[in-house]
Formats: sequence, C-alpha cells, structure tokens
Amino acid sequence: MINASIAATIRERVDTIETTPSIPIVFLPLLDLLNLPSDMVNLDQIVKLVSYDNTIAAQCLRVANSPLFGMSKAPDSIKAAVISLGIRRVQTILLTCCMGKAFPTKNWAIDPIVFWRHSLGCAMVCRKFSESLATGDADKAYMAGLLHDLGFMVNCMVFSAEFAVAAKNAAEQQIPFEEAERASMGFAHPDTGRALAERWRLPNDIVDVIAHHHAPEESETAQPLVALVHLSDLLCRMRNLGYGYYERHKVDLLSDPAWATLASHYRRLDGVDLVRFTFEMDEALEGIYQLVNTIFGKSAAAV
Amino acid sequence: MTAVPQVTKSPPFAARPAEPIDPVYRQIRDLVYKVSGIYQAEDKLYLLSDGCTRRIKQLQLRSPREYWDHLVAHPSRDGELRQLLNEITIGETCLFRSQPQLDALRKVILPELVADKARQITKRLRIWSAGCSTGEEPYTLAMNMIEESQALLKDWKVEIIATDLNDRSLETAKAGIYGDYALRCTPELYKRKYFLPPKDKKLEVRPEVRGLISFSRLNLQDDSRMLFMKGMDLIFCCNVLIYFDGVSKSRVVDHFFGNLTFGGYFFLGVSESLLNLNDKFHLVHFPGAIGYWKPSLSSGKL
Repeated sequence: MINASIAATIRERVDTIETTPSIPIVFLPLLDLLNLPSDMVNLDQIVKLVSYDNTIAAQCLRVANSPLFGMSKAPDSIKAAVISLGIRRVQTILLTCCMGKAFPTKNWAIDPIVFWRHSLGCAMVCRKFSESLATGDADKAYMAGLLHDLGFMVNCMVFSAEFAVAAKNAAEQQIPFEEAERASMGFAHPDTGRALAERWRLPNDIVDVIAHHHAPEESETAQPLVALVHLSDLLCRMRNLGYGYYERHKVDLLSDPAWATLASHYRRLDGVDLVRFTFEMDEALEGIYQLVNTIFGKSAAAV
Repeated sequence: MTAVPQVTKSPPFAARPAEPIDPVYRQIRDLVYKVSGIYQAEDKLYLLSDGCTRRIKQLQLRSPREYWDHLVAHPSRDGELRQLLNEITIGETCLFRSQPQLDALRKVILPELVADKARQITKRLRIWSAGCSTGEEPYTLAMNMIEESQALLKDWKVEIIATDLNDRSLETAKAGIYGDYALRCTPELYKRKYFLPPKDKKLEVRPEVRGLISFSRLNLQDDSRMLFMKGMDLIFCCNVLIYFDGVSKSRVVDHFFGNLTFGGYFFLGVSESLLNLNDKFHLVHFPGAIGYWKPSLSSGKL
C-alpha cells in the first residue's frame, strides 16, 4: 500500500496527462463505448468510430487481417470486419491501434517497442488463456492484458526521472520491475496506472487488473480476471516478451496462488497443458513482433 | 458519447501470403505431441512433413491424409508412430544448443543450489547428462561450469556424468573432436579458450574440460543400475525419451526423480515435455526455458 501523500502526488501528476494533444479524437468516445454492455453498442456506432481517422482505420484493417486475429481473408471494408469479427473484437482492435498513438514516447525510460510487445503479447496470451478456459469473455481478457501495464506509460510521462532510475536498477540487477520501482520510488506502476484508469473511468474490472496484477489476492471485485492477467504476464516475461532484460528468477505457475484462484472458478484449468500452451505462445511470437511493428512501429519511432 | 463525424475513404488492404502446408500435418503434429511430448512449432513443421514424406514413400501411400489414416487406424499404427519419431528426431545436435537453458543454469539455478547447499561440508555438484550421444552436451556443461569456477563455484567440486547406450557415440564423445557443424553455436571465446588449436579444420576439447566428465555406457531401462545413480543435482535428458513408449518413459522419469537431490532440476530437450508423465516434478519457467524441479525439503511444496 502507498500512503496518502504519495497517492495525492500521483493524482496531481496524472491530471496533467489529459492535456496531451496526441490522444486520437476517437479514443475517449471509444472508452465510453467500452463501458457499455456489448448489446447496447450498435454496429454503425463502431463502424463510424473506426472510420473516423483514416490512418487508424487502415491500421485496424491490417490488424484484423493478421493471423493473430483470426480473419481467414482480408476484410474489404470496416463494416465487413465488424460483421465477421464481432463488435467486441473490433473494439479491442481499435483500442490497440489508439493506444499506440495516445502517448508521446519521447525520452521513455523503456523502449516503447519492447513495452508494446509485452502489452500486446500479454493481451494475446490472456485472450487465448481465456478461450481455453471458456470464460465467456475473451475480448475482455484481451483488453485487460493490453492495459495491465498502463502505469508504465504514466511513469514514463510524468515520473520520467524517477522511473529512469528504477528501470536502470531493474535491468542491472535483473529483478522484476515492480520490485525496483518500489525500492527506489516508493510506489510502482500499478499505483500510477490505477490513477489514470480511474480518471479515464475505465471499467471497474480493468481498473482492478491494472491496480492488482502483481498481487491478485488484493483484488476485491475481479479476482479471476486479475489472476488470469497475473499468470499471463508472468508467462510472457518468461518467454521473450518481457521488458527486454533478463529477469533472474524462476516462475512456478502451478504453485502460484493465482492458479488456485483461477482453478476454483474454472474447472477447465485442470485440462490446460501448460507446456503446450507455452510452445504455442512461442509460435505466436513472430506474429506479435510483426503486429507491433505494424501498429506501434511508426508512432513509436517518429518521436 | 461524443459525436464523431464520418469520413469515407477507401482503406488500404494488406495481403497475406498463402501457406502451402497441408493442414493434416498439424493433426500429425498434435498426435506426435500427445504420444511423445515433442512439439513441432509452425516454422519447424517442414521437418515433420519431410519425415512423413519419407515414410509415405516407403509405405507407397498416396497422400499425407492416407498416412494420417495409417497412423491412427492401421493395425501397425504403434510401430509406425515409432518409425515416424525416429525420422523426425535424427538428432543433429551441437554444442551450446540451448543458450536460454544455459542462462537459466548459470543465472538462476546455480546461485540457488549454491545457497541451498552452503551449509554442507562437502561442496560438491553432480550433473548427469543422460543420453549424451556424441558428447556435445556434457562438454558444453563442463565449459560453463569452468566459467563459474572462479566465482560462484569457487572451492566447489563439479562432476559431470555422461552416459549413453550407444558404444560408438560414446567413443566419439570421449575423443571430443568436433567440426564446424557441431561448433556452429559455440561462441568464439569458448572456441579459443576450451579447444586445442585447429587440426584438419577440426577442434579438440582441452584435457581440463574433459577432466570434469566421466563417460560410461548405461541403459536407462536398466532398473538396477538406474537405482545407483544417486545424488544428482541436475539431470539433462534431451531428445532421448522419445525412443521409449509411455510406460518405460514414465519409469525412467520416476528414476530421474529419485536420482535427484531435493531442490534439484531436470531438463528435457527444447520442444519436449513431460506431459503429465510425473506429477511430483514442478514445472518451472525460466526466461526462454522450461525445467522441472524437485522441491527442496524446506520449500514445503513437496
């Protein structure tokens, strides 16, 4: 837990983020849409939103057409993509594309490409994990995975000096980022991510994921989802989708309390072959690298 | 919800290259994984299809689909699966085959083992390369242990036991002479440090490296001898279990579990898994590598 004065400082600095001019116009309306149950969102709304910004629209189609999103042939229009993939999935694609543009990446303490690889990789793993457990909302899991480290972006923008020290320590000592952040700053990305997520009024379960993905047992409202993201995050960091440095530790997912949490909610977890899951993840790596270059490469490199 | 004006422009489309691989190979891949724990990743599927093609020719079948039927429905399907496994695992191995495994060993496991055993009087580490083939694996391990001998393993005695069933492989292993192909993954630094000057384009391992290793013939199916392989801290058994059927495989793995000290680790080949052959080992992930851990007594996770 962080104390009240640190929390106040975080909120103060997070308030300055909203004025960032680079946030795509469709981004905030999209966040509103994501708060609605999917049966209250209609097809035209989402088509309009995707089409609004031409570069984002083009990117969305490229992403929809990537093997990782499972369209068997190139969609010839946004409407066709929405019909074929479903509103929820297109929302997640649009969110993915917007995220890459929403933040200036000048002087980031971590390589933006590496950051996006981790976020997108984690999103993919969460989705696949969620599918194999039949949780019923794989797109929600994707969104949770994509946003779980939102706090890193906050850190890069409004705590850049402090965060640069933490990043250096993490890489040098080969320890998890969160540990290094708490040691040198007194707070970590779950705290700053939560502040921005609350300001943006992201769905409660997503806020919970952002705030507790390193300590799922602290989640009050969304334990299974937080546990799922926690495990996926660990797996990604062990399979070349971490933060670009060697993390000197071992991960025993089956003995992680989050595994038990997930098992108590989803009986199918018993049948998940973790090793195969890992191999399949390795297989998807190349696709994730390409996708990140497609979506984030330009914007990340341009600044 | 903010109103968003509509902009209509035709979007560009990305073309996706066609994939020529017959989908039946993915079925075969899954079958192979189910029976052997060997996983052929998408970019390695050609190895599987090459192997199948050779079998298809030999059996005079007409298509991969027909071969699939042969693998699942023919009276000799078990034997055929074995043949196929032999085809796809003709192990051209090399030194330094899996760097992530070596990183896990040096950066995570060794510090842990050293800390665990710090209170013991004899500072000794025993490593077993089970199914060492022509010696690439034990030599790689030996060089890495020597690298640590001035720091982490100072004052420690390291023993590497390398065993194989095949006499001819063992002879090659003992000779310790390797050509370019076997050395293709070996860092230049190690080539200079741990090999004698080249002769006929080949490199011979230095005696001090060989000195860490004892080579001997051992059949992993020989229960009575397996019982004697006690007190191992690490066991490497890469691309060997594939030659066994389910029952003998799990018997060997049970032996390995017994052979390891508490807190010891067991490694398989890069695309292999234990596939629930043994539920006493803990599956552990290291960056880029998978290992199996025999929980230490103090961890309370046994």
